[in-house]
Amino acid sequence: MVRIPPRVIGPAGGLTVTVLVAGGFALGLRLDNLHNGLLAVAFTAVGLYVVRQRPDNREAWLFVATGIAQAAMFAARQYGLHTPALPAASWIGWLGVWPLPLVFVLIAVTLMSFPTGRLPAPSWRVVVVMLAVLGVALALMSALWPVEYERVPLAAPHPLDLPGADTAAAVHRVAMAIGYPAFQLAWVVCAIARLVRAEGDESRQLRWFVLAMAMTGVVMGVGLIGWGTPRPGLLAVPLVPVAAGAAVLRYRLYDVDPIIRATLVWGAMAAVVTLGYAVVVVAVGNLIGGSGTLLELLATALVAVVFGPLRGRAQRVADRVVYGRRASPYELLSRLSAQLTGPSSGLLDGLCATVADGTGARQVVLWTGPPDGLRAVSAWPAGCPPEVRTLDELAPGEPSLGGRSGGRPALGGCAVPVTYAGRTIGALAVTTGTRRSWTSQERGLLADLAAQAGLVLELRASAQRLVAAGDEARRRLERDLHDGAQQRLVTVAMELGALARSAAGAAASAERVAEGAAISAGRVEGAAVFAERAEAARQQLLQATAELRETARGLHPAVLTQDGLQAALGYLADRSALPVRLRVDVDRRLAPAVEATAYFVVSEGLTNAAKHARAQVTTVTAELTEQGLALEVGDDGVGGARPQPGSGLEGLTDRLAALDARLLVDSGPAGTRLRTVIPCG
Amino acid sequence: MLADDAILFREGLARILTDMGFDVIGQYGDGDALVRAARADPPDVAVLDLRMPPGFADEGIEAARAIRAATPAVGLMLLSQYVEIHHALRLATEFDGGVGYLLKDRVSDLHVLGAELRRVAGGGTVIDPDLVVRLVARRREDDPLGRLTDRERAVLALMARGHSNTAIASDLFLSVKTVEAHVTSIFVKLDLTPGDRDHRRVLAVLRFLRA
Repeated sequence: MVRIPPRVIGPAGGLTVTVLVAGGFALGLRLDNLHNGLLAVAFTAVGLYVVRQRPDNREAWLFVATGIAQAAMFAARQYGLHTPALPAASWIGWLGVWPLPLVFVLIAVTLMSFPTGRLPAPSWRVVVVMLAVLGVALALMSALWPVEYERVPLAAPHPLDLPGADTAAAVHRVAMAIGYPAFQLAWVVCAIARLVRAEGDESRQLRWFVLAMAMTGVVMGVGLIGWGTPRPGLLAVPLVPVAAGAAVLRYRLYDVDPIIRATLVWGAMAAVVTLGYAVVVVAVGNLIGGSGTLLELLATALVAVVFGPLRGRAQRVADRVVYGRRASPYELLSRLSAQLTGPSSGLLDGLCATVADGTGARQVVLWTGPPDGLRAVSAWPAGCPPEVRTLDELAPGEPSLGGRSGGRPALGGCAVPVTYAGRTIGALAVTTGTRRSWTSQERGLLADLAAQAGLVLELRASAQRLVAAGDEARRRLERDLHDGAQQRLVTVAMELGALARSAAGAAASAERVAEGAAISAGRVEGAAVFAERAEAARQQLLQATAELRETARGLHPAVLTQDGLQAALGYLADRSALPVRLRVDVDRRLAPAVEATAYFVVSEGLTNAAKHARAQVTTVTAELTEQGLALEVGDDGVGGARPQPGSGLEGLTDRLAALDARLLVDSGPAGTRLRTVIPCG
Repeated sequence: MLADDAILFREGLARILTDMGFDVIGQYGDGDALVRAARADPPDVAVLDLRMPPGFADEGIEAARAIRAATPAVGLMLLSQYVEIHHALRLATEFDGGVGYLLKDRVSDLHVLGAELRRVAGGGTVIDPDLVVRLVARRREDDPLGRLTDRERAVLALMARGHSNTAIASDLFLSVKTVEAHVTSIFVKLDLTPGDRDHRRVLAVLRFLRA
């Protein structure tokens, strides 16, 4: 069989349809046949346009075929409907009537195959076969007997005059009552089934399609109820192929969700307002036996009062229907910037929650570190996976984002690298249900959020670097003092001690000598005074070294670096001006920044309790939990602690924020409690 | 035998100890060198800085342990810029006497230093007074030390520093019998089990003060 190339079939089909439809319209405008012409044009035009863009799109060819069939039927009907009857009107008009069930079947199959050109599942073939059998039976009856002629006012009678017309009409009536709704029902059910199971881009395409269906349905309903005629509905049917074409080609350009949302909101509002109005005017009118302007005014006022709140509610319901739990990209970005400018604690958790909100994900994990050693720093819902992963493991086949093209990732998720200044500094991993894949819009959103995450991670890293650099500087200063000034002062004190001792010795021996010889009492006294002053100088020097030691300790406690938190907190408790109930349950060394921060939190808490709180006793607990190092410093004082600008508490808040921890200050008449949990991996 | 990474201090200490009649037989810059030397030629006392290279953490204690394991008779005197209770407890727990822990400042008080070195060499225990003062002065809820008389508190502080009853008696100008009576009273009031040796007593008292 010779295969005709698409570039021949396309124009040939287009030309055929043009001739048929133009010819049909040349015979006059018939309202009862208009929709067939519009459908023919719509199907063919959309089909050919899509074919031009995507020659391999099967669905487009089905459209073209449907369009041609429609055009042929339309032209034949136009011919048959023309009055006075044209030559051979009997046979040509006949051609415009009996293929109707077959065209219906073709339309049903075309729509069932949308948008891929294939049935959603092989099992649907059974339905197609049943439809075809029904269609052929109906067409056959219609071809042999004038069973459809009652509904179509053709100028010429049925060309055949076979016996059994009455029986055929009776059978046909039953078959039509089953067949015609079945044709429509089949593709509607099919489309809904497809929409429910659709994911990603396909779901987005189907939304266009369903929107057109819904609108047509509304127009049809309004027409039937309002004017008792299906004609407006039939005329709206060409919307369906147009929407289908837009869905195939343009679904990325126009987001149809807001339109669906608006349709839902305003449809619901219209229904509510009408109903409310009817209830007030009719029901209340009947009840109190009144009517007229007063009731209408009352109804209008009532509707006006409930309109606003109702609209808000309808909007939320519509949001939920259309977006699910997902917020719009704009909402998300503004929420994220609120997170960024608000109190900085819990920034990363907020980021993960925002991503989860925006994508309807089951789990969101933010990883940081170099691409070959990523660690989870934050997760939604809470609970970071402990393992170290590489970027390749998280996002195989980057940068396809684990979409449909690169085969479905095992977890049904995707990960985007988080970069800052061209460096990969982490990854944002999102896990959804097992079947879900990603729409282009969601991917774009994820990329935007990852860019924001890059900024946040960098901010956090720089804050951590600042804290670490500050700690390191203090530690070095302490070392310098310890190894330099302190050693030197102690050595000098030792020398002074030696001097004082020898001077005292000299004075004593001189005294002994003076008893027997003529040594002046002045020399003896001089040596004694020297010894005394040397001893006084030594004492002062020791005082100075003691002060220097305290200064060095305040800078950075050596005991913390050497022996860890338990020993350092013990030291703080020993030195506290108030009794301390200390409970430390930390059985391992933590990161230097965590230990130093914990130390300063307790130090500040104890100092405040002693200075300002007029407390009797303080409580310090430190324990390792799953979330990190949990610290609590409490007292039974008068309260009033607040992290004011420039206060020690504010400094602690900033310091903790750099470690993704939040300082909770709970201060009242019952005392003050500082609490924090420092994540420490 | 001395070990300290601060040369100036070490040299000064060596000179003063020599002046005081001690025989300084070696000076070293870190713990490992001291341990080797002490093994080869055990001194009566080794004086070590607690914080030494390479880690500037607790190398002094590690070196002291090594010396104690090899040559148990050597007295060990640890010097430090800070005195920490957990170090004191560790020394009291891991070493059965013959060990001292003093603030470096203390060495300028020459006759005290001399006496403490001799006590350590003789198997006694020496804890820096600063640390003990801190522990005794520590604020406690319903302070058990409040049950002690002033005199008893003074005796307790000297016990914590490692003084024997005889030493306490001479320090406080009391008779040994009176001191023994105070000690018994303290142990009863604080519900402590008296150790059979001075060293055990130090550990018990330090633990009590820390609790």
